[in-house]
Amino acid sequence: MDLVGSLWRTVPWRVLAVAGALGLLIVGTPLATGAEPASWQTLLLLRGAALTGGLGLAFLLDDPARHLTAPVPTPRLVRQALRAALVAPFAALWWAAVLLLTPSASRPPVGGITLEAVAVGAFALAAAALAVRLTDEARPGPFVAASLLLAAVLGPLLAPEDWALFVQAGDPRWPLAHERWAVLAAATAVAGAVCGPEPLGRRRGR
Amino acid sequence: MTSLTPTVSASGLSLHYGRTRALDDVSLRLTPGVTGLLGPNGAGKTTLLRVLATAVPADRGAFTVLGHDPGSARGRQEVRRRLGYLPQTPGFHPDFTAFEFVDYVAILKELADRRERHREVRRVLEEVDLGDVRGRRIKKLSGGMRQRVALAAALVGDPGFLVLDEPTVGLDPEQRMRFRELIAGAGEGRTVLLSTHQTEDVAMLCHRVIVMAAGAVRFDGTPAELTARAAGRVWSSTEKDPGAKAGWRTGTGSFRNVGDPPPGAEPAEPTLEDGYLLVLDGAGTTGTEMAA
Repeated sequence: MDLVGSLWRTVPWRVLAVAGALGLLIVGTPLATGAEPASWQTLLLLRGAALTGGLGLAFLLDDPARHLTAPVPTPRLVRQALRAALVAPFAALWWAAVLLLTPSASRPPVGGITLEAVAVGAFALAAAALAVRLTDEARPGPFVAASLLLAAVLGPLLAPEDWALFVQAGDPRWPLAHERWAVLAAATAVAGAVCGPEPLGRRRGR
Repeated sequence: MTSLTPTVSASGLSLHYGRTRALDDVSLRLTPGVTGLLGPNGAGKTTLLRVLATAVPADRGAFTVLGHDPGSARGRQEVRRRLGYLPQTPGFHPDFTAFEFVDYVAILKELADRRERHREVRRVLEEVDLGDVRGRRIKKLSGGMRQRVALAAALVGDPGFLVLDEPTVGLDPEQRMRFRELIAGAGEGRTVLLSTHQTEDVAMLCHRVIVMAAGAVRFDGTPAELTARAAGRVWSSTEKDPGAKAGWRTGTGSFRNVGDPPPGAEPAEPTLEDGYLLVLDGAGTTGTEMAA
């Protein structure tokens, strides 16, 4: 319990709060202005909110005391998993709020867009775990966030038509695209989990 | 060299970063007391410390700490339970108080019983003279105080092996003196490996000194043995001797030269730093400067 309490205080709550607020602002703007967005606009706003959430999660594994706490008996994977677990309920509540702020008439299928948001979050966490594993950086968050942003911009542009992810809600490719989102979410979650444990050895003969 | 049972025993440690050879077949045995680790920037000191602290694995070689081999997950866990580590750039959660931060590290070091852990945290904070400011946030502490918080975090749990990476960098002379006292105290009954650029720290604190260059150990012996390397190779002159490996004008106006003295040179008392300079000077040509 003491471990959970201490780790709670190491979570970058301010960054997460800013990202969360920004996401709410993105989807809440039409409501505040009295506009009635079209379904494609609502989908775009929800994807924007999911991206800001992911950008916040990119900072979750930042740890200024990383070097000092590197050789402690509590495994890195446990510390990272606990941080993610501490944030998860708040992320779920935040996403529910994001969905509620969008007009129900133009809201895309909740399951599909939620899957997209989960995949973006998993991608951000996996990228952060990879950065922690491959670099000595105590605060890889800005780099990870920039990478996520770049992937979000380049992904739709460079992805082949057969692998389209960002399709419209009425598009017949929607179900297939979300199978891909599910694969992406699962693959990044596995990649993040694989990056968590500290290696016992390195490749030899280099 | 002492015949005490080694706390740390390493053989053939090698590590490459890309094409850079950070550690090259390093073997050593560390016994209780303070061992100094000297070497120029890029010599591999920090890499060696990080390997021995299990923060990064070596490419080749093996080592044990207090009989435990960190080559397995269980062994590494056991090593970490007996280890204190003060890295070159510790880094803190600035909103934590000194007490909270050391307590946080103590929790990560698996000190489970809260009452005993808090007693231990108070003890180490007293030990590093921070008892009075333990409730102050780290962001409000001076650089020297933060360094002592990091030392307290390394000392918490009474580790048998303490790894200190340039702990006196950036400290003023008074703080450095205080840190020397702390490290000397920490070296009583435990094994301390102290990386430093300060030869005075080694001369005043260490029962043994290891000199590294280009990732390899170039000297391993007592401070007196390192100083003896310069016996008869330090001399004074009124002009800088062009044949000297190093020479500088001293406060008295005469030049102090280190190297191979010319005939009839006026010998001067060698220091540990002179010996260190001469070992480094030979580092490029020989890898067998090991003291017996």
